[in-house]
Amino acid sequence: MTRNPKRAAGDTPLVEMDDVSISFGGIKAVDHVSVDLYPGEVVGLLGHNGAGKSTLIKMLSGAYQKETGEIRVNGQTVDIQNPRDARALNIETIYQTLALADNLDAASNLFLGRELVTPLGLVDDSAMEAECRKIMGRLNPNFQKFNEPVSALSGGQRQSVAIARAVYFNAKVLIMDEPTAALGPHETQMVAELIQQLKADGIGIFLIDHDVHAVMELCDRASVMKNGELVGTVEIDDVTDDDLLSMIILGKKPGEEAA
Amino acid sequence: MKKLGLTAVAAMLMSTAAYAQTVGVSWSNFQEERWKTDEAAIVAALDAAGAEYVSADAQSSSSKQLADVESLIAQGVDALIILAQDTQAIGPAVQAAADEGIPVIAYDRLIEDPRAFYLTFDNVEVGRMQARAVLEAQPEGNYVMIKGSPTDPNADFLRGGQQEILQEAIDSGKITIVGEAYTDGWLPANAQRNMEQILTANDNKVDAVVASNDGTAGGAVAALTAQGMEGTPVSGQDGDHAALNRVANGTQTVSVWKDARELGKAAGEVAVAMAGGASGSDVDGAGEWTSPAGTAMTAKFLAPVPVTKDNLTAVVDAGWITQDALCQGVTGGPAPCN
Amino acid sequence: MTDATSQPIPERQKGNLFQQLELDLRLLGMIGAFVILCIGFNILTDGRFLTPRNIFNLTIQTVSVAIMACGMVFVIVNRHIDLSVGALLATTSAIMAVTQTQILPHTLGLGLGNPAIWLITLVVGLTAGTLIGAFQGWMVGYLSIPAFIVTLGGFLVWRNVAWYLTDGQTIGPLDGTFLIFGGTNGTLGETTSWLLAALAAALAIWGLWGARRAKAGHGFPVKPAWAEATLCAITAGAIFGFIWILNSYHIPKRRLERMFEARGETMPEGLEVGYGLPVSVLILITVAVVMTIIARRTRFGRYIFATGGNPDAAELSGINTRRLTVKIFALMGFLCALSAVIASARLSNHSNDIGTLDELRVIAAAVIGGTALSGGFGTIYGAILGALIMQALQSGMAMVGVDAPFQNIVVGTVLVLAVLIDIIYRKRVGAK
Repeated sequence: MTRNPKRAAGDTPLVEMDDVSISFGGIKAVDHVSVDLYPGEVVGLLGHNGAGKSTLIKMLSGAYQKETGEIRVNGQTVDIQNPRDARALNIETIYQTLALADNLDAASNLFLGRELVTPLGLVDDSAMEAECRKIMGRLNPNFQKFNEPVSALSGGQRQSVAIARAVYFNAKVLIMDEPTAALGPHETQMVAELIQQLKADGIGIFLIDHDVHAVMELCDRASVMKNGELVGTVEIDDVTDDDLLSMIILGKKPGEEAA
Repeated sequence: MKKLGLTAVAAMLMSTAAYAQTVGVSWSNFQEERWKTDEAAIVAALDAAGAEYVSADAQSSSSKQLADVESLIAQGVDALIILAQDTQAIGPAVQAAADEGIPVIAYDRLIEDPRAFYLTFDNVEVGRMQARAVLEAQPEGNYVMIKGSPTDPNADFLRGGQQEILQEAIDSGKITIVGEAYTDGWLPANAQRNMEQILTANDNKVDAVVASNDGTAGGAVAALTAQGMEGTPVSGQDGDHAALNRVANGTQTVSVWKDARELGKAAGEVAVAMAGGASGSDVDGAGEWTSPAGTAMTAKFLAPVPVTKDNLTAVVDAGWITQDALCQGVTGGPAPCN
Repeated sequence: MTDATSQPIPERQKGNLFQQLELDLRLLGMIGAFVILCIGFNILTDGRFLTPRNIFNLTIQTVSVAIMACGMVFVIVNRHIDLSVGALLATTSAIMAVTQTQILPHTLGLGLGNPAIWLITLVVGLTAGTLIGAFQGWMVGYLSIPAFIVTLGGFLVWRNVAWYLTDGQTIGPLDGTFLIFGGTNGTLGETTSWLLAALAAALAIWGLWGARRAKAGHGFPVKPAWAEATLCAITAGAIFGFIWILNSYHIPKRRLERMFEARGETMPEGLEVGYGLPVSVLILITVAVVMTIIARRTRFGRYIFATGGNPDAAELSGINTRRLTVKIFALMGFLCALSAVIASARLSNHSNDIGTLDELRVIAAAVIGGTALSGGFGTIYGAILGALIMQALQSGMAMVGVDAPFQNIVVGTVLVLAVLIDIIYRKRVGAK
């Protein structure tokens, strides 16, 4: 894979999280971590459970508020207080839990919080279903259950609703929290293709994953966290699976001597 | 839809074809034990006249009582006996009955409506009897007035009767009212709490208690007993078994007994008469009467009996209470407990 | 992005009659249960239960609880509960009673019977209810106190604020115009009722037609035309039938005579006038329609259901769930005040015990109507049917002469059974 041209050209990053920290009950969940992301780039976030990768990313998606540090989008310092602020900055998130309202149908979930309305201000279900059919036709052509609550859908179908919600609204930055955790091999492949497609469209993606192989395959760079601290950020082309694994397990960058 | 109309017609035919009269009774709260006695007496009187008895229990809710009365009217009753949960809020129910030309008897509790026939014991007289008995036992000193529920107009009638008797002694300075309290819902527990507070406020310097019924008297006696002041004159009414036992024991002075069987019997008879077309003023013993709120209506008052230690034998003879129940735990008391 | 081919829309499947009509099976079940109940009582009471008069009574008796049940659906769907509705009804009723009998006529010197009194009273009462509701919602949403606790406290507080405001006394009679909201004292008469029925039927058909056109506009399958026409016919038939029944209940002769006397006229011999639609029932119908539109066609309603289905998802979707909670409780408070208007006008007085135990009836009505306490599911029409079923049970048993303790035993049993049936139904059709 070639290095990201924008980054190589020294352009302003799409997102910079600079020296951010957050603690819960005295424990530093994220301790002065800095990561960045360029357009058309996929940055993997790796680490054990509890390493702080999900927490880090929730400060970007607005679910948590950072305590120190700065977040910049296109070089501008931004204040993200809640998910609405993040969405306004075109930062979209696909949560590990998918965050779907099980009792509503696919279209209602797709447009949740951003419903299409008729001139009278009433929710326009027909229009939303039509839009939903359009995007699902692209993402998951097998999807048919438009008039059932999403609780009646399979894991893969639910995943595609969650993905559709993130990509429909012209995301510039996409955060994916273990998007393939609940999926079979075929659906995983579909997500991989989607990521390539989105990348080609110039979207920057943070991909959180346990799976080193998936990261090696999909990402341009990887940032590894351990115990709330950033171990380091590496170019995928420069490292091997084993290098990444040792970063995750030992907390050391390749080349550094293990203690 | 067509069928529905037919059944309605059939129902109307049936109700007019039926020969016997139907009397509906709307109870405010049948959970209270005393109304069982009244009901038995009403049913007996209606049976004697060959009339049918239907009833509904409002379970202490004014709105349910209104629905109950509407339902009784829909069942085609010829007269209504209403024990009102709320003297004013029952108004729309009386209105509905009047619209259908159904006579309404306000049973035991006043209904502020000129179209209702008020049948009760003379509550002002009850109050007089209570005060009279206590004043006799304790002609001077500090008095406490334990009144009934603030939503029950009877409470104020009683208080009025009590005042008539005590007024003279108050004016001459022989007695002083040191405490006065309404008892929410006529609940003994509330009466006891109020009495305790009055005792505390007056350093126990209380010589007599005019309580408006036996339940509140029980609460007052409990509060007095806790301070070792049992034997202080206390009045009451209703002839509750526990209260009569207290009279035998000497911890209560008087229980004014309104024989519910008399009231129930009278109600049944009046209802049958009025269902047959008699007007209220035709009823024997009925007269014009003006309520404290100024409503002129027809009313009939039955005379109560004050039960003191001197006439306890009478309630046993009437079969109201057994001698065993009356004299439980009493040794060397008044007749018949000696 | 790449091509924009839409998902193909499948051919409409042929199904049985009910599938073709796309009727809600749960709704049909409830209506069926209600009809069986009514017919049963009708047999037991020798045909007295299903008379126009008793149906008229039943609808009037149901209104107050049904209005609050509509609000309770939103509260429960949003995974909260409101135990304070009966007490809140009492407080708002007390406020309005004091306003219209003491403050406005005497303190402010408008004089009794001033035509502005009922309007000002209404505004004061509804505002008070909304504010109290919003305050409770604020404690639930922003202070994160569980709704059960906030409203349990509210149950004690507002019941006794009402008592304090009135010293426990019954206050009345209420303003003459105000009494129009009470039911029998305010009906529209036959002609107006028929006109309203025609208007309502036209609106309903227009609504059905509009929905069909919107679907067709996006190329979605629609019901066969005959099914749509049948639905229109059933709807219009139900509306006209209901009005026909209410119009068939004639004003009692003596009352009519008095009405003529009051106008200084003599009543023509043999005149019969039907009551028509009571204003209170019209208010309930309006509340039901508006609440259904809110639930299905507004963002507010969509967010209530989304939050009930998955609160975290709603929050992450950018829905301000705290503010949503405040709005829901404010709406509940508003509806409590509206019920207070109807309940107190019906009694033509404010009584200290008004609304006692209503919280339980309201919750029971919502639950019998299929509102799930786990949140996310519930319908307005279900709650109103639930309230009707409860009232029919109570009124029917009173008419048959069932002893008071058994009446409550039956109502309690029905509540539990209804929920059991609902659970079984949900399992059968899949978690819908």
